[in-house]
Amino acid sequence: MAKKPKQPANAAVPAQPSAGADLSHLERMLAFMEQHGLEEFEYEHAGLRVRLRKPSANTHHTSALPARAFGMGAMTPPEILVGGSASPAAEAAAGAPSRSEPTGTAAADAEDLHVVKSPIVGTFYECPSPGTAAFVKVGDQVTSGQVLCIIEAMKLMNEIESDAAGEIVRRYIENGQPVEYGESLFAIRTSRKK
Amino acid sequence: MFRKVLVANRGEIALRVICACKELGIQTVAVYSEADRNSLHVRFADEAICIGPPRSKDSYLNIPQVISAAEITDVDAIHPGYGFLSENANFAEVCEASQITFIGPTSESIRMMGEKDRARREMAKAGVPIMPGTDGAVADEDTAVRAAGEIGYPLIIKAVAGGGGRGMRIVRSRAELSPAFQAARHEAQQAFGIPDVYMERFIERPRHIEFQVLGDTHGKVIHLGERECSIQRRHQKLLEESPSPAVSAGRREEMGARIAHALEQIAYSNAGTVELLMDDAGDFYFIEMNTRIQVEHPVTEMITGVDLVKSQIRVAAGDRLDEIIPNLEFRGHAIECRVNAEDPETFTPSAGRVTTFHTPGSTGVRVDTAMHSDAFIPPYYDSLIAKLVVHGRDREEALSRMRRALEMFIVEGVKTTIPLHRKILADPDFAAGNFDTHFLERYLPALQAAAK
Repeated sequence: MAKKPKQPANAAVPAQPSAGADLSHLERMLAFMEQHGLEEFEYEHAGLRVRLRKPSANTHHTSALPARAFGMGAMTPPEILVGGSASPAAEAAAGAPSRSEPTGTAAADAEDLHVVKSPIVGTFYECPSPGTAAFVKVGDQVTSGQVLCIIEAMKLMNEIESDAAGEIVRRYIENGQPVEYGESLFAIRTSRKK
Repeated sequence: MFRKVLVANRGEIALRVICACKELGIQTVAVYSEADRNSLHVRFADEAICIGPPRSKDSYLNIPQVISAAEITDVDAIHPGYGFLSENANFAEVCEASQITFIGPTSESIRMMGEKDRARREMAKAGVPIMPGTDGAVADEDTAVRAAGEIGYPLIIKAVAGGGGRGMRIVRSRAELSPAFQAARHEAQQAFGIPDVYMERFIERPRHIEFQVLGDTHGKVIHLGERECSIQRRHQKLLEESPSPAVSAGRREEMGARIAHALEQIAYSNAGTVELLMDDAGDFYFIEMNTRIQVEHPVTEMITGVDLVKSQIRVAAGDRLDEIIPNLEFRGHAIECRVNAEDPETFTPSAGRVTTFHTPGSTGVRVDTAMHSDAFIPPYYDSLIAKLVVHGRDREEALSRMRRALEMFIVEGVKTTIPLHRKILADPDFAAGNFDTHFLERYLPALQAAAK
């Protein structure tokens, strides 16, 4: 394996010092990826989540997501990370996806996929209870009405049902991640017959 | 002090709360409906969560969505603003149960003052004069007739569970009583789901005077003077000022002290406004209490120099009143005009894109707004787009300042009530301080004036 990749994976540095990451930490992760020939690497610790992905056909900038930072105003200083912006002005300037249209939904539209969106604010869980198997995974065929995930709100576990039938081609949210109303959860390639 | 606060509101008041939080070094979370995605309150907050589709009941009034947003952003407290959930005792309780501080009075106080007849009973018990009236809901027509005998005419029948002019009937003689009683009950049932009505004396030419109060969580309550709010259309205020040209310093101190003392007795904390009617003789009668920050709070801020929203946050965080306001002084005169996106004659709401929005400035002028050029006014919410507030050395200077400021306030793309405000400011009776709650009728088409 080459020590230095031809096209290094992109990573955005979180701007808030409280997020806890520093450059040397990220450099170590990048080196680790190269060492093991990884295309994608995700790391979470103490409220900081980092996903590093090598550029390929459909990916955009990766972003470091502090566990609970939703959206950045247009008035924030330029060094605030690109991936977290929720305002159209900042979006246009930075070319970054907004919080409620994360990486890949533009691609989803192009492919004519149906995106299942969250009807409530809460925390996303992929399985019925800790330790059990996930409701669905990428590649599964699902029917309309089938439970795809749970979104917990105010200690109540809400089962989120699919509003389309077809194959799950993408999951946008990580287990335990907070979601807002209208946030994309899954992309489904709808089948011709239900 | 709180680390992070969620603002459960929108528009200018959400921005107002964000201002106070920024000055206190508190992180802010905005919640928004899909229609408000590009609003200023969303853009100035540190974090923002979409909580639903445009309709208020599905977003700003949706308690599970708001609380869930508060939980996932890990806030310490919620400020409810005015309207929406600010006087929803259930919401305050849910916050308490979720270990999130509700920046406002206790759910118990909210509940007490939300039930109009109970509010009157409690305030009467605590020494605040109330309008002669029934002690509770009037069960039937016979009771109504007996009560009318004690109260005297003219009297008014009002819905127990409501406000804003619905489920109300004025009765000037015995002959009018029975049909009015039935009609009010029917309207109350339709509007609020509860037909219960109460009765009280009616003042023909009242002035609407309200007192701003602030209580801490250590048992102390103070008043911050009164606001004159008689310029109303269908019980909606258009213009407010302080001090009232009709309230003497002696009356102010006497009523203010009585109110503060009464609220200490019921252990009221945080901000609130006690609304009264004043008759020709200068006597006050308690009408109702609003257990929240009000739209017109800037009027009081301008004459006292007190930041009421910061004070609310500090009270909720446990600070004592004598630390928050060590020295209260009243200086000069302030007036506020509510600029609504409405036709100034028909009052039809005017939604759409604001192409020009130039606010006045210079000495003694404040504009509270979330509006800006190129913004789009959605049709789902109330029509208030800006509050223009002026302060002057005395009423004369405040009047001249407001005239000047209104002239230099340019809004294009939508209709606003600015032309109506200019008429009010040019009116000799208004300038002389001679007016009551019927004042605005002279500027309303004859048909609308009849509606009561």
